[in-house]
Amino acid sequence: MVGELAGNYSTVVLMFGFAIVAMAPALVISRMLSPRKRSNPVKFLPMECGQVPSGEGRTHFMMQYYPYILMFVVFDVMAIFLYAWGSSLLEIPKIATLPMMGFLGIMFGAMAFALYQSGRRRIW
Amino acid sequence: MSVIAPKFKLSEFIKSLLDNAFWAVLILSLIGIPAVFIVLFFIEMPVINGEILTPFLALTWIADPSRTLPIVKAFMATDIFRVMVFPGFGFAALLAAGTIFIERKMLAKLQLRVGPFYCGKFEGILQLMGDGLKLISKEIIIPAKADKPIFWAAPVLFVAAAAAFVALIPVAPGWVVADVDLGLLGVFAVIGFFPIITILSAWSANSKFPFIGGIRALFQMVSFEIPLILSLLGVVMLTGSLNLSEIAASQSSFPWIVFLPIGAIVFFITMLAELERIPFDLPEAESEIVAGWLTELSGMMYGLVQLGTYLKLYAFAALFVVLFLGGWNGPMVVPPFPAEILTEGIVMGPITAHIPGLPLFTQEMLNGTLWFVLKTVAVIFFILLPRGVFPRIRVDMLLNLGWTKLIGLAFVNIFIALGLLYAGVLGPGGLQ
Repeated sequence: MVGELAGNYSTVVLMFGFAIVAMAPALVISRMLSPRKRSNPVKFLPMECGQVPSGEGRTHFMMQYYPYILMFVVFDVMAIFLYAWGSSLLEIPKIATLPMMGFLGIMFGAMAFALYQSGRRRIW
Repeated sequence: MSVIAPKFKLSEFIKSLLDNAFWAVLILSLIGIPAVFIVLFFIEMPVINGEILTPFLALTWIADPSRTLPIVKAFMATDIFRVMVFPGFGFAALLAAGTIFIERKMLAKLQLRVGPFYCGKFEGILQLMGDGLKLISKEIIIPAKADKPIFWAAPVLFVAAAAAFVALIPVAPGWVVADVDLGLLGVFAVIGFFPIITILSAWSANSKFPFIGGIRALFQMVSFEIPLILSLLGVVMLTGSLNLSEIAASQSSFPWIVFLPIGAIVFFITMLAELERIPFDLPEAESEIVAGWLTELSGMMYGLVQLGTYLKLYAFAALFVVLFLGGWNGPMVVPPFPAEILTEGIVMGPITAHIPGLPLFTQEMLNGTLWFVLKTVAVIFFILLPRGVFPRIRVDMLLNLGWTKLIGLAFVNIFIALGLLYAGVLGPGGLQ
C-alpha cells in the first residue's frame, strides 16, 4: 500500500474515458437519425402531466434533511478513517485495539445522540 | 392500419442512406485513417516471433490462422483489450443487457404475464434490440429553460461513472482492468459520483418532477453510504488488505459470508438502496412523481441512463461476489486443454494443422470466469426478485432504516469480525 503510484489508477480513468467516447456517438447518431420538428409551442415546456407549467422549475421545499447531512459530513470521514485501522489490524499489537474501541464507542455514542437530536423536529 | 410515415418515398430513403454512407466514408478517409497512423506512430508495437509487428505484417499475418493467434494473444495482454472487451466494458455491457431482458421476462412470470413475446421468433429474444432501435430513432426533447450542456452530459457521465466502477472489479485471477492496492476505497470514491451526477441532471432539467426525484435520490444515496462503508469493514479486517483481487483470493477455503452474514445482509440492503430498486425506488416512484429524475430524459438519453443503471447493478452484484461469496474461487470444472492438440496439432482427415498460440485462455481463467459469472447471476437474481414482491416504502421509513438499524447492525458486524480474529478462529494461526 505504501508508495502506490497515482499512475496505477490510469486504467480507471481510461475506462471512464472509453465509456464517454463509446457512448457520446449514440447521442450524436440519435440526433442525426431522429426527426426534429419545432411545430408545437408547448412541446418544449417542462413535463407537468399535460398541464401548462406554472412557477419556477427549481422550487424550494422542506425535506427536513439538514441534521442527516451534518451527520453524513462527520461520520463518512470517520468511517473512512476506520479503514486505515481495519486494513492493518493483523500487523499491529493487540493492545492497540483498545483506543480504537474507545474511538468506536465515541463514534457510536455521538451518532446515537445526533439521531436522537434529529428526531426532535422542532429544533430544526 | 395507420400509416407511420405518410410522406415516405423509397427513393428519398435510399438517397438518405447513400448520403450517410458518403459522409461516413469521407470522414473515415480524411480523419480516421490519418488518426490511426498518428496513433500507431506513438504506440509501441508488440514483438511477435522475433519481429516487430508493423501494420503491414499484421495485415499479412491476419490471413494465416497459424499466425493470427499470437497477434490476438498480444492484443489480449494490452490494457485496451481489458478496458474494451473482457473484464471491462463489453463483458459488463453484455451481462447488463442480459439482465434487462431477464428482468422483464422474470417480472412478467412473477405477475402472471407473458412479458416480451413477439420480437424475435423465440420468447421475444430480440426485444432489447428492438428497444434500442426505437430509442435511437426517437427525438430528443430538451426542456426550453434547461441547462443544456449539463443536461446533455449527465447521461454520458452516468454511464462513464458506472464503467469506472466496473474497472475495479476482478473477474478472474489477474483479469482486472485496474489492479490497485486501494481498490475498495476507489469503489467508495466512484460510488460518491452517482448522487452528484443525479442531482446535476435533475437540477439542469429545470422542471419540478426531476428536481424532486433528484433531491430524493441524493438523500437516499447519502443516507445509505455510511452503512455501506461500515458493513464492508469486517471483510477488510479479516483479509488485512484493501486490494479487491487479494480479498477474492483470500477466500479460497470458505467465503466470508459464512462468518459475516450480518455484514452481507446489510451490504445487500444498502446495495438495493444505492441502485434505486424496489423497495427503495423513491427517486423514480412512477406512481408519485412521474419518473422521478428521469422524467425529462427522452430517446437515447434515457437509453444511456438505463444502460448506466444496469452496468451499476452488475458492478454492485460483482462487488458482493468478490467481497462475500469468494469471487472466482470454486471447484475446477473446466476440463484441461487437450494436450495432443499442442503436441500433434489438429488432425482432420489428411490435413494436420499445427496452430501455435493455443490455448488462448488458461484453465484457471476459464474456470474462474465461469464461477464468477454464475455467482454474479445468482446475486443479480436476488436483486431483481424484490421488485415482484415488495411495495415501495416511505421516505421516513427509509431514513430510519438506513440511519439507525443498518448502522447498528454494521457495528455488530465489526465486533463479530474482531471477535473472530481475537478468538483465534481466523487470521494468523486460525483456519485456512
